[in-house]
Amino acid sequence: MPEVKSMFREVLPKQGQLCVEDVPTMVMCKPKLLPLKSVTLTKLEKMQRDAQETIKQQEMVQSSQDETQP
Amino acid sequence: MVYVDEIDVDQEGIAEMTLDENSIAQVARPGTSLRQATAKKHEGPSPAVRPVTQSGRPLTGFVRPGTQSGRPGTMEQAIRTPRTAHTARPITSASGRYIRLGTASMLTNPDGPFINLSRLNLSKYAHSPNLAKTLFEYIFHHENDVKNALELAALATENAQFKDWWWKVQLGKCYYRLGLFREAENQFKSALAHQDMVDTFLYLGKVYARMDQPLTALSMYKQGLDRFPKEVTLLCAVARIHEEMNNLTSATEYYKELLKQDNTHVEAIACIGSNHFYTDQPEIALRFYRRLLQMGVYNCELFNNLGLCCFYAQQYDMILTSFERALSLAENDEEVAEVWYNLGHVAVGIGDLNLAYQCFKLTLANNNDHAEAYNNLAVLEMRKNHVEQARALLQTSAALAPHMYEPHFNFACLSDKIGDLQSSYVAAQKSEAAFPDHVETQQLLEKLRQHFAMI
Repeated sequence: MPEVKSMFREVLPKQGQLCVEDVPTMVMCKPKLLPLKSVTLTKLEKMQRDAQETIKQQEMVQSSQDETQP
Repeated sequence: MVYVDEIDVDQEGIAEMTLDENSIAQVARPGTSLRQATAKKHEGPSPAVRPVTQSGRPLTGFVRPGTQSGRPGTMEQAIRTPRTAHTARPITSASGRYIRLGTASMLTNPDGPFINLSRLNLSKYAHSPNLAKTLFEYIFHHENDVKNALELAALATENAQFKDWWWKVQLGKCYYRLGLFREAENQFKSALAHQDMVDTFLYLGKVYARMDQPLTALSMYKQGLDRFPKEVTLLCAVARIHEEMNNLTSATEYYKELLKQDNTHVEAIACIGSNHFYTDQPEIALRFYRRLLQMGVYNCELFNNLGLCCFYAQQYDMILTSFERALSLAENDEEVAEVWYNLGHVAVGIGDLNLAYQCFKLTLANNNDHAEAYNNLAVLEMRKNHVEQARALLQTSAALAPHMYEPHFNFACLSDKIGDLQSSYVAAQKSEAAFPDHVETQQLLEKLRQHFAMI
């Protein structure tokens, strides 16, 4: 047994990086998978957008009329 | 025209959430409530890997009309929605989409409403069952006049000697809309005594979820599953509750069970996919998202997810085309911002920090409230040793998203580095509150405490 042990000798590196200290680094926020939307939600959002568009256009028309009248 | 499933459509408004008096325990025991910030205990991926919504829940793979973001803790959080600051919630659900759905069709009719409800003799119609049912559906769904609908339903159920389960379910629906959850519960239970129906179980579960009793809701769904084994909608409802309670492992199991029954269920595929992505298996996530693409889902979100999965699964040929497609399909500025944000990560991954910097800047150009982008820009600024800029960016980020631990932790690190130990300690405590298990925060706090003790 002692002979086998002597075959392996301890190796200590004399140069290069000997140890790594764990330094706290700043963390980034993680990449975000976007949640898919259900068909209903997509349609509802589309309805909402369309309604907003119509109102916007109506307001535009109204304001242009107000400008021309006086 | 949109047909909205009555079971699905339920968006809790701000008023309902913050002034909610239906939940039984204000300070519920852990694991019995949907409303508490569940950041304390994590089942599955931690916030170090998976982004969280403002209520401390992991980001879900799918948004539905009802469960968009969990319950916020404060009024301020309630007004701000997790993904964007622009699509805020309605003030109450009574002013939300219900109203719009009800009036949308009336506005387009130049001759006024089709039926003048105030002039109807409801008791007359209640006597003819066939007509009454149709009339009820018209009043409830089209006119959205819950009060009249309730009256008609009450008369009709009386007329049917309280033996018709259908009218009881309708009564329950009316009570639910009016916010009388206990009455709704009674009606649904009584309907179940006459006739087992999948819908009734789902409505009951919805009532319990609204009363903040997820465990009762789960047992209700279990009862339903006993009567209707492997019913897809019930399985889906169970999975959603598990997901909302932050129990992603069992949620995924239920979604898998669901996919065995219905292999084209978009919600299940998306949720399992995102779960795989955040548990370090982007290759498998990629397969799920590819399946969605094959099924004909074609939108910005899907291509963005495909791009990310491709990048992390090392399929570099597809990344940029996917993101380009996502950008071209984006419907509003917030979606564009999200895609640029993810492209920034790809740029960081390939080491092109200039490109990353530009991507995050573009994110902010499209969505000025993107807290994550502020944080990442700060990290990039710190690499260039621009301490002041980094500091300002981190403060903005922390103010925009107090639920994320990253900006707090980074601010603590930065302050520690420049010797402002007091701010560092305060920020580290905030970071600990957002993510208690974060080891580096603990180490920093320990270091600071030792330092203060020495003084």
